[in-house]
Amino acid sequence: MQITRSMKMADMIHMNYLLLPIISRFNIKLGCGDKSIDQVCKENSIDVYFFLEIVNSFHDKNYFPKKQLQGFPLKLIVDYLRNSHEHYLHVKVPYIEDLIHQLLLDSYSGNTELSTLINKFFNDYKSELEDHINREEIKVYPYVFAIEKAFRSKKPSPDIIELTNKYSMDDFIHEHDNIEDKLFDLKNLIIKYIPPPEDIHLCNTILIELFRLEADLNDHARIEDKVLVPKVKFMEKWIYEHVLQ
Amino acid sequence: MNSITVVIADRLQITRLGIYSILRQLDYPVNIREISRPEKLFGTPFKNPSNILITSVSFLVHANKTVSGLLEFLMQFTCKIIIHDQEASDGIIAAFNEAIEYNDPEKIILRKIDRQLSFLLQTHPAPRENYEISEREKEVLRLVALGLTNKEIGERLFISSHTVITHRKNISAKLGIKTIAGLTVYAVIHKLIRIDDIHRDSS
Repeated sequence: MQITRSMKMADMIHMNYLLLPIISRFNIKLGCGDKSIDQVCKENSIDVYFFLEIVNSFHDKNYFPKKQLQGFPLKLIVDYLRNSHEHYLHVKVPYIEDLIHQLLLDSYSGNTELSTLINKFFNDYKSELEDHINREEIKVYPYVFAIEKAFRSKKPSPDIIELTNKYSMDDFIHEHDNIEDKLFDLKNLIIKYIPPPEDIHLCNTILIELFRLEADLNDHARIEDKVLVPKVKFMEKWIYEHVLQ
Repeated sequence: MNSITVVIADRLQITRLGIYSILRQLDYPVNIREISRPEKLFGTPFKNPSNILITSVSFLVHANKTVSGLLEFLMQFTCKIIIHDQEASDGIIAAFNEAIEYNDPEKIILRKIDRQLSFLLQTHPAPRENYEISEREKEVLRLVALGLTNKEIGERLFISSHTVITHRKNISAKLGIKTIAGLTVYAVIHKLIRIDDIHRDSS
């Protein structure tokens, strides 16, 4: 079932609670009463069509009307991606890290070798994710905005070509590394190989959080690949054609 | 990976679905294939000797085959089960291992199919999927976990880097672990290496 602007915000959450972190990424607070999605978005100065595209694409994996999302200014998409990054780095990952520390303390304090390994494994994952995110923040987004500015100006200066020679969306696609691999491995290590912990509930919580983080990162990557990349590539192409003429 | 295929051949969706649901209930490791048209059944060669055919009299009648042609075709199947109504001639039914009547209750149908399947599975056990890593793979895994490159591993074990890569792919597929860091944790848990070895070798 597709999510529409006239649907109540509360009903949407009842329909799919996995959308909760997405809603908070838009800085929408709960306590929305019987307000429709349209109303809530208006009150929070959110472009309701952009909101709908994002929640629908998360809600239904097969939903992806690229054309519609393509119409939004890049700033909306980038702001959204930035908010997700914030959420990963400052909320989600530290939360999982705390849980893992607790698990190691509770169940594996006698096994220092294993504790050290798991700690190191998660730290490595964390810095990989940080590097990945930092690269996007420092390199990719400024580039993306420069391209959009040149595109909007309708008469791009030749300098922009120099910029694209240094870095372009093709580079972004190539450096899009598999940060999910480590996450996948961590899940399997816990499910299949690590001696079972005493605190099963805590262990399950960790696994569920890892599954969710993985799914969230996949959706995030989908928005980058399906929305950001084609949009910027389209602008790059236009600029090439109009400057090199 | 299963060696046994159950072919459900009948023109009626409702019959195929019924047999299918019974096979699901029995939960044997078999492949299930549905065929709805006689020409499709007779036009397909079934090379695997351990196939099971479940079909109906009305389906075979529609095939327009001579009796000898039909019998010859049925020879391909190790086990044959026929579905019939009470008026069916004994001649055809005799060529089958088991006969199910349309008005048989569920319990009876389950028991009849179960008897045939369990017998066949005992005599043709499905090959077990191998998730255990071999001694050679263990050796490669140990060196990967210690942080050696493919080239270094190849030199140590006197194999090409290409072979090392093949081993690594197989190891990752069997264990469900993709990264070097993950393989290292696995290797320590299974005492293939000690945690101190990692630091020494990588320094």
